[in-house]
Amino acid sequence: MFLLSFPGDLMEAVLTMRHISKSFFGVPADDDIDFDVRKGEIHALLGENGAGKTTLMNILYGIYEADGGEILWKGGRAEFRSPRDAIERGIGMVHQHFTLVGRLTVSENITLGLKSRGYPFTDRAYLDKKLEEISARYGLPIEPGKRISELSVGEQQRVEIMKLLYREAELLILDEPTAVLTPGETEEFFRVLRRLRSDGRSVIIITHRIPEVMEIADRVTVLRDGRKVCTEEIGNVTEEKLSSYMIGRQLRHIERQAAAAGGIGFSIRGLSMEEGGIPLISDLSLDIAEGEILGIAGVDGNGQKPLAEAIVGIRQYGSGTMSLRSASLDGMSVEERKRLGIGYISDDRHHDGLIMDMSLEENMLLRSDRSGFIRKGFIDFQKLRKETERTVERFAIKTHSVDMPVRLLSGGNQQKLILGREIYSGVHLVIAFQPTRGLDIGASESVRELLLSYRSQGCSVLLISADLEEIFSISDRIAVMHGGRIMGTVSNDGHADMTEIGLMMAGKEMNA
Amino acid sequence: MKQRQSSIASVAAIAAATIIFSLLMIALSGSGLTAALKGFARGAFGSSYSIAEVLVKAVPLTLCALSVACGFYSGFTNIGAEGQFYIGAVATTCIGMYLPFLPGPLLILLSLILGFAAGGIWAAVPGWLKARFGISEVINTLMFNYIAIGIVGILLQTVLKDPKAFFPVSSYMPEGMWLPRIIPGTRLHAGLVIALLSAAFIYIFIWRTWPGFRIRAVGSNSRACRCAGIGVGSSIMLSSLLSGGFAGIAGSVEIMGLQHRLLDGMSPGYGYLAIVASLLGGSNPFGIIAASIGIAAIQVGAQGMQRSAGVPTAISNIILGGVVLLILLRPMIMKAIGGKAHD
Repeated sequence: MFLLSFPGDLMEAVLTMRHISKSFFGVPADDDIDFDVRKGEIHALLGENGAGKTTLMNILYGIYEADGGEILWKGGRAEFRSPRDAIERGIGMVHQHFTLVGRLTVSENITLGLKSRGYPFTDRAYLDKKLEEISARYGLPIEPGKRISELSVGEQQRVEIMKLLYREAELLILDEPTAVLTPGETEEFFRVLRRLRSDGRSVIIITHRIPEVMEIADRVTVLRDGRKVCTEEIGNVTEEKLSSYMIGRQLRHIERQAAAAGGIGFSIRGLSMEEGGIPLISDLSLDIAEGEILGIAGVDGNGQKPLAEAIVGIRQYGSGTMSLRSASLDGMSVEERKRLGIGYISDDRHHDGLIMDMSLEENMLLRSDRSGFIRKGFIDFQKLRKETERTVERFAIKTHSVDMPVRLLSGGNQQKLILGREIYSGVHLVIAFQPTRGLDIGASESVRELLLSYRSQGCSVLLISADLEEIFSISDRIAVMHGGRIMGTVSNDGHADMTEIGLMMAGKEMNA
Repeated sequence: MKQRQSSIASVAAIAAATIIFSLLMIALSGSGLTAALKGFARGAFGSSYSIAEVLVKAVPLTLCALSVACGFYSGFTNIGAEGQFYIGAVATTCIGMYLPFLPGPLLILLSLILGFAAGGIWAAVPGWLKARFGISEVINTLMFNYIAIGIVGILLQTVLKDPKAFFPVSSYMPEGMWLPRIIPGTRLHAGLVIALLSAAFIYIFIWRTWPGFRIRAVGSNSRACRCAGIGVGSSIMLSSLLSGGFAGIAGSVEIMGLQHRLLDGMSPGYGYLAIVASLLGGSNPFGIIAASIGIAAIQVGAQGMQRSAGVPTAISNIILGGVVLLILLRPMIMKAIGGKAHD
């Protein structure tokens, strides 16, 4: 009642979470957190990986049960036992990893699990019309009849959001939504968010990207190490302030010395690959010197994954040759290639990089240089434990113990474990595919510094990233990939022409 | 803590449901409850002989359940332990019939090795088909059971048939090949030791060695193994070979320890019961031993129940089927209990 003096609707908290606590195996993930969202607000939940953002939202969404605290939804006490509870009451979440069925169409995915008009003989035409209405209203262009597997990541995200809107969600929770988007797509996405806001819906956006918070959010709540630091109106904070709230220290600037390039470390000549008659990579050639970082820029899905997998040996290639330090790699298996000194950081740590149900220790065994852990066929658990603990310490991996399943680690800590496993002395080529995706600033920084330190030891690094800032921060040369080909290569000497790179990313060939 | 409590509670609930269900079944069969229960207890635990009978049944069951578990670790669902059991038995029979002049211990050793190899190869064929072409092993291993049982039938009518016998059985194995009895006056034989050693071997192999790790890793996430350069196909092959191998040993041990000759219908479905035992034992070798003894006790006890109270033995299978269902439902039971406790 006393709140009436505040400007009307603006102060109306549609969601309030009070004193929320949750711990896993005795380690608090969230500790006494208060959080609220108003109607028609975009509220950013900012924090590094492992700060407790996703856990907090999973509690709200009924995936985890809080150890303590209460949730108020539209003024009444609420308890969400499962995502379905949450969805029924108008709360929807888009996870970092999408939950779509690739072989079904957009429209089928959106209405999946609902008894729509005409059920069981669903009136598809009517639904598609309804979807197009929603689509037009929020500026989310989609084609209801297309299969999910034919869509880009950005388009798939649109489908996920449409799914929530179709279910009339009033509060949308978006977990790291921009991590997979190109700059253009991000702009488009923000326009959608603004339209949702003006329509009276509330949005929680989980992120660790400060510039985005400044651009899109109305308020921001910062978490650090499972505790709430503050909740502020965006007008009251600056990027520097948020950054210090989030990491509790000042950011370091990465010093990059000019490359002292040695001989040819790794080279590809005339690589071509296809799948089902569709060319993935056409006549691609590249060289990376010893002690050089070659950055591959480009929009996701332009042949980066096939390229990385061909180099590691996971995919066969039709034609072309590869050599590492003048030893030919052609016809070698993954194991043989890795033994020669290739470290691989995949962009998909859940499926490619880790065995989620196994412990940190056991995941270390996936390292190609595992001979030290195996004696006469038996695993030397003592040595393995020592090495794992050393990696945990060196990479500051937050974990209760090395026996814990890696599933229980945060994304950033999982990635650090992969880095610790894949990059060790004796590696001559590192394929770093989106190595900092989903990582917080601190972790990203240390990953990049690590890549630089390996470069200075004479290691060749292939950095594939959709994040231009990352590419520019550590690459010596930058190649731009589009449609399975390299459109041009520029030297990263501080004079690179951004327009030119943008044009190449869009498919214009340059001779640089 | 709460999770642990509801986990224990769910086990208790399953046990309670099983007991109530069993009593209900016995009552429905129209026999006196006390007489039936007394018969059950006497049949399964009444004397050293009955306890030995339980263990006699538990031996092939344990070995077959270990077989199922060996496949399970790599994600190779082996429904074919029954057929691999018979193929192992056939290998042993051939050795006994064609090399009877060899000394007994050598015959036993040779039988175990060849029994393992024969059963292993029998399972490795579906294993190879899965590893190479991705063909479902569930259907293939099951179909291989019919082939194996058919082969046994044909062999027992022709080359392996004892010419003196009227029924399709082989002649007896040379006595030197019989496994020694370990409790005099009972049928309990040294196969028990072989089963226990097998369990210990599998435990060490799967959790302590590199090939064992590969098998578990492939079962958990084969894609990550491919990216890490761990041979997925070879791990599946190895796991299927081991899996078939232990079922083969089960057949071999059953011939050398108990039957002393090959006969049609020698297994009362050990290969299928083994799936239950492996599930009950949580795919842990020592859990499997306990589960196998438990199942064997139910079966032997049911026979006692039939003798003394006229309760049909089929009841034991009905109860086991119910238990499997309950165990598969355990997560839901746990949630229901946990949920209630929360309110």
